[in-house]
Amino acid sequence: MIEWYESNLVLIQGTIINLLLALSLQVPFRFGVFSFAGIGAFGIGGYAAAILILEQEVSAVVAIIGAMVVGVAVCWVLGLVVARLGGLYLGMATIAFTLIIAVVAINGGERTGGVIGLFGVLADLPTWTILAFALVAVAILAITERGAIGRRVEAVREDPELAASIGVNVRRYRLVAFVASGALGAAAGAMNTIVRTTIGPTDIGFGIVVLALTMMIIGGTRSWLGALIGAIIFTWLPSILESVGTWQHLVYGALVALAAIFMPGGLLGVMTDGWRGLQRRRRRASRGTSVVEDPTEAEAAAAEEPAAELAPLLDAANTGERGQS
Amino acid sequence: MLQDLVFAMSLGSIYLLFALGMSLVWGTIGILNFAHGVIFMFAAFVAYLISQEVTLGLPLLVLIGIAVGALMSVGIQLLAFEPILRRAKDFRTAELQILIGGIGVATIPLAIAQHETKSNPFGITTSFDSQTYEVFGVRISTTQIIIIVAAVVFSAALAIWLRRSRHGLALRAIGVDSETSSLMGANRARLAIGAMGLSGGLAGLAGVLLTLNLGAITPESGDALLVTAFAAVILGGVGSVLGVVVGSYALAMIETWVLVNTSGTWVAAVSFGIIFLVLLFRPQGLFGHAEVRRT
Repeated sequence: MIEWYESNLVLIQGTIINLLLALSLQVPFRFGVFSFAGIGAFGIGGYAAAILILEQEVSAVVAIIGAMVVGVAVCWVLGLVVARLGGLYLGMATIAFTLIIAVVAINGGERTGGVIGLFGVLADLPTWTILAFALVAVAILAITERGAIGRRVEAVREDPELAASIGVNVRRYRLVAFVASGALGAAAGAMNTIVRTTIGPTDIGFGIVVLALTMMIIGGTRSWLGALIGAIIFTWLPSILESVGTWQHLVYGALVALAAIFMPGGLLGVMTDGWRGLQRRRRRASRGTSVVEDPTEAEAAAAEEPAAELAPLLDAANTGERGQS
Repeated sequence: MLQDLVFAMSLGSIYLLFALGMSLVWGTIGILNFAHGVIFMFAAFVAYLISQEVTLGLPLLVLIGIAVGALMSVGIQLLAFEPILRRAKDFRTAELQILIGGIGVATIPLAIAQHETKSNPFGITTSFDSQTYEVFGVRISTTQIIIIVAAVVFSAALAIWLRRSRHGLALRAIGVDSETSSLMGANRARLAIGAMGLSGGLAGLAGVLLTLNLGAITPESGDALLVTAFAAVILGGVGSVLGVVVGSYALAMIETWVLVNTSGTWVAAVSFGIIFLVLLFRPQGLFGHAEVRRT
């Protein structure tokens, strides 16, 4: 176990960082905000941590927290600025924001290292620290997926007008989504820089947008669990599929396209649907004998059916899941 | 100064050819095609592959570009966007899935081109000989003249077609209200294929012409152009042909001005700034209608 842990340390750290990156895209998506700002925060956080460590010689944890403060501040302002946008307009505006971070980094001169980037960002970052950040993030997000908060978030996503009419402050929820994605993205970026000891403009380009999108779409958009599934698959897949090599991006792109067309709920959506189907069939099977014996009871069973259909939905509501139907 | 103007005009014409198709499908059938940039690049790439085997003249290269662009665009519409629209529960989710699917689809031709060229710039060898003329001390090449003329002719033709023809009317009707127009006999699926084909053809034409003008382009150049074209469409107003024309040339002028007057590589920031300013202060664009849905 320990041997396995040590030989795969880079991949384990990478999984947690990718989880945070995927979450930075998924959280606004779950709030009904189609924003790529979290990926921009990934770049901002990565550079902020590098500059803090190189110029102020702070510790890794301080650098990460500092990066998160910067990421939150930038995304908060951005969230205020683009508050009146929605849908595709918001998506494109935030993609433009994300892509511009690299332009700013290239023009940053000495401080950002220009085209080459920054090297030798050395700070001690144990894996348990990365894990602790991720656990706190997941715990907070899990709360927003259940109970009253979960239902409000769902209402803000599915029908903002309805949500506003029943007293949910939609604007505030959307701003919270921006701030959360800034914090998550910046944390992921800072950790990524510290683990790899380097950051450059090419690390925060369009490729990272596609990677985050891939993890979120393939894993599932409705719960942190989906982001985790995506992060695990796309951190470990490249090392398993070595033969894919240079075609990695092609495989990712094809998977995203196929998932967008055929399973918009992601793997998590497919799994929950499958689980529900199984439960439904089991209930029918247990009733099957009575149907043959007594037709009146069969009618009663049929009348019961809607309730039986609802039961898995209620289960799902408890775990923060939602049907795609 | 005049030399910069010529540069801005040919740059703006490339933006225009590229953005016209993007604005057409977005403003009518509501598809923001993220693969548009890669269609542009791949059309030039196919022309490059063919030019490695046989040396062709300009007309044939242009036709290849248009054909490849149109075929790719129609293929993406049939294989990706139409299935998404059919399966999605409402148009809002479909829009986002189409954007995501487009990003996914776009990586496939990009990866192929990057693999073949090892991410190096590629150029098209042609028998066409571009002359450079000097008028009042301003240099202008044949390719630049062709680009500017093509942009003006195609946007005028598109504007007239949308205004005057029955298909144009049907497309515009779909842009206003898809359901009602289908009740009145507009075949959405067929018109969508036509619009996507037209849009892809224009992108392919722009790809071949830009490659001939610059000498070579990189496989990644489509991505940058996509954001620029988005800025041009937003600035002019989605769905308005006049808007795209004004947006493209205005953007090219501003970019040229920034290029001449600043040292760094801040040009890439211009489109970003424009997207932001326009969306904040005039979200419908210069020539758009205020009632167009934004959320």
